[in-house]
Amino acid sequence: MANRAQIPNSNSALIAMIADEDTVVGFLLAGVGNVDLRRNTNYLIVDSKTTVKQIEDAFKEFTTREDIAVVLISQYIANMIRFLVDNYNKPVPAILEIPSKDHPYDPAHDSILSRVKYLFSAESVASGRR
Amino acid sequence: MEVADHKAPTLENGQLADENADVLQFMDSMDAYFTLLHSLSSTLRQYQIQGWLELASARHSMGAYRVNTVLLDHTSHSAATTLLVTQDEGKVDSVEPRFTLCKWGSSSNEKFLGEKQSSQDQLHPQLRHRGSTQLSEEKTSSENKASCEIDDQVQKGRSKSLSVFGTLVSPKLRSAQLSFETALETLVEMANARSEMLYAFDKVDKKLGDGKE
Repeated sequence: MANRAQIPNSNSALIAMIADEDTVVGFLLAGVGNVDLRRNTNYLIVDSKTTVKQIEDAFKEFTTREDIAVVLISQYIANMIRFLVDNYNKPVPAILEIPSKDHPYDPAHDSILSRVKYLFSAESVASGRR
Repeated sequence: MEVADHKAPTLENGQLADENADVLQFMDSMDAYFTLLHSLSSTLRQYQIQGWLELASARHSMGAYRVNTVLLDHTSHSAATTLLVTQDEGKVDSVEPRFTLCKWGSSSNEKFLGEKQSSQDQLHPQLRHRGSTQLSEEKTSSENKASCEIDDQVQKGRSKSLSVFGTLVSPKLRSAQLSFETALETLVEMANARSEMLYAFDKVDKKLGDGKE
């Protein structure tokens, strides 16, 4: 499931965010905002005008950047790109689904839980015993 | 023949015990993860809700045009709060990252001040020959000084972050900042718990895969 490559130690890795305006502003107040020389940010503010393609592109960008260690994504936004999130299997950056103002956290949609569920399915247990 | 017959079941029992140990470890880590996830989610939501309410209150008192994303700093700048990512040295064949939050550059500051202190000790070795009481007092005062410097650094970082929304900001905005800082600490704990569980899951998944082959 996880890559066997060594994780490069980093002492200044970033926290990326894909969330609504208030959540992003809140975490930016906590000092996680980063803008590089090309004006690339480590956050995407999602509103009613943000397309699924933009969210997908941001997710792919943040999960491939080497300077990002954790990606915070509101769970209702993760549900829009659930296929991408569930298929993500690298240890770093870690993907954390967080609740939003209007959408409380639902453990049933958690990607980690869905990944673990199959271990306890009848089929996998039966095939393991053969 | 009888000796060989005894050896074969022993080998199988050993493998079975090994697999059971991995499964138990995974179950334990999963139980710990979901217990922690439940409590942290409540804590996270508590601090997030608190932060959202304080943000809304600040927006109400300062005005919506003063607390919005248009004012965010889009010039090049580094994050003041970052993560220290290390790998557990005890697990050579695994990928289990550990995340440590460095708020407002505090960990890097502590390291810098620690190095500065040790370099000063090297420059003034005669301090070691003084009385223990005087030495401990000097050590305490230097630690206090280091602590004050770190606090100043943290306060400067917080003020700089708030200054995006103007010179005079609502106390609610400052409270929101602290709430989201606490939420960040909670999230880093969640990231570490997730990492531990995924490591245990990976071991069990690999064993199942080997068994099927």
